[in-house]
Amino acid sequence: MGYVDVAGVRFTLPDGRVLLDDVSFRVGEGACAALVGENGAGKTTLLRIISGDLTPDGGSVARTGGLGVMRQFIGSVRDDTTVQRFLIDLAPPAVREAWDGVEAAELAMMEADDEPTQLAYATALGHWGDVGGYDVEVTWDTVTVAALGVPDDGCKYRELASLSGGEQKRLALECLLRGPDQVLLLDEPDNYLDVPGKRWLEQRLIETRKTVLFVSHDRELLARVADRVVTVEGGGAWVHGGDFASYPAARTARHERMADQRKRWDEEHERLIDLVRTLQQQAKNSPDMAARYHAMQTRLAKYEAAGPPPDRPPDQHVAMRLRGGRTGVRVIVAEQVELTGLMQPFDLEVDYGDRVAVLGSNGAGKSHFLRLLAGQDVAHTGDWRLGARVVPGFFAQTHAHPEWLDRTLVDLLWHGEPGRPGVDRGRAMAALRRYGLAAQGDQLFRSLSGGQQARFQVLLLELSGATLLLLDEPTDNLDVLSAESLEEALAAFDGTVMAVTHDRWFARTFDRFLVFGSDGRVYEAPEPVFDEARVQRTR
Amino acid sequence: MTLALHSRPVRDASVEQAVRRLVAEFSGSAGDRDVVRVVRTCRQELSGAPVDALPELVERLARYRLRLSID
Repeated sequence: MGYVDVAGVRFTLPDGRVLLDDVSFRVGEGACAALVGENGAGKTTLLRIISGDLTPDGGSVARTGGLGVMRQFIGSVRDDTTVQRFLIDLAPPAVREAWDGVEAAELAMMEADDEPTQLAYATALGHWGDVGGYDVEVTWDTVTVAALGVPDDGCKYRELASLSGGEQKRLALECLLRGPDQVLLLDEPDNYLDVPGKRWLEQRLIETRKTVLFVSHDRELLARVADRVVTVEGGGAWVHGGDFASYPAARTARHERMADQRKRWDEEHERLIDLVRTLQQQAKNSPDMAARYHAMQTRLAKYEAAGPPPDRPPDQHVAMRLRGGRTGVRVIVAEQVELTGLMQPFDLEVDYGDRVAVLGSNGAGKSHFLRLLAGQDVAHTGDWRLGARVVPGFFAQTHAHPEWLDRTLVDLLWHGEPGRPGVDRGRAMAALRRYGLAAQGDQLFRSLSGGQQARFQVLLLELSGATLLLLDEPTDNLDVLSAESLEEALAAFDGTVMAVTHDRWFARTFDRFLVFGSDGRVYEAPEPVFDEARVQRTR
Repeated sequence: MTLALHSRPVRDASVEQAVRRLVAEFSGSAGDRDVVRVVRTCRQELSGAPVDALPELVERLARYRLRLSID
């Protein structure tokens, strides 16, 4: 069993900004702790400090039980790393070192087969055995069978890039969960996993006896798995000792308590200053008062030296105002629509005010259907039309906008687009401020984080005056707080919403569920359906 | 890298096999006793190596030493 103890950690960014200050928390043996916070709050930096990749400017990290780390980029590996190299890199340092020793000795034997080289090879093999290398090889075999369905020998030279994002994640997770390390740091382990994959992950994390600290934006995963929540905000961190269901209330209560303490400190501060001023006047006439004046001065100095309690962290300033507007009763009418080669023909009627979640397996044509409704060129048969005064607004996954990448946010707002009038700099900055993007106004779109790009796209929807929102995975890159803000905005939106999503928490806020089945059938379900199998296509 | 995976109690199969093959290989140039002695020495010196890798390591080292002695 292992634990992680972070004490007084301080970290300063290269630009001099203090990202983390006096961060202290402990993840005890067998705990499964979630690390949450806004995009850019320092979650990944904190994980890198714990794993030893970064050295903090102050404070210390203590841990026992061996550390296994799954980094965020796993799932998007596109270089020539092989499966074998990947597994070695996930192994404990001693195993990695012994493996490198054996490899070096093997290479040396190819060059020279003399006695010292042979004995060095024998020593390297002996070391491999001593660090438990043979057991590790057995584990690798189990891991590749579990994650990819083939033994290690059958896939070790395969390039990782040939695996899907979900397969890469699963391979790493199997390796860490079955490996010897007792403390696991998982940075967004659920990214790239479909819903059945996420359910598998939840089950494995619930079952494991290891100590886990993980970052995730998936509220369903957080609710099912986390037994405590570590929050990084306002440069510090605090721990909620309960589960995620009780977390929002605990966070609000904490913020209120902090605001209250700060208010009381300010009031006492004011009172002491007033007293000092009064005594200063009185001291001019009375030596007795002069002594009291000096004593009061000292008291004020001590009070100020002790400093105020930390103020409540500033709320993330995201105020999404999706106004919409009244449209005809029938918003979407589709008759025998079929996207060529993707699904069987289906009928659909969507009325004003409906909230329709589009669910189903990857590759079933959900995003194509949304793009068709957004007016893009998508091959199809059958008829479809939008109702009176229906203005579609389309939110696409970020990679769908290559033309935005090298433009600044203010520039994109200023120029406008067909269907979205441009706005002057003043209005643009005001709108950006409401979405927590004021500081990014003059940055290029490509330099924004995934969450910031998503928020910006919602802002564009707001400005376009859309009355039908077509959203393709809108919560994918949003942190928990931004996702909740989007949900509130959608709830207040006067219009119709249709969204493709794999986010189970988000999907529950909808009232109709259109499912694209893996067999090509499109049907409506009374409840969200998440276990449609992946569509198999020849590649 | 191909490695045998399971540890087993030490059997001197490594010595027996190496002796059998090397005696045949060096017949005429080294005596049987010399081969046995070299193989046993190698086995002893390699005692820290994993059991399953021993046959290959022992035979390889013994062959190298026998060749040197003939040269």
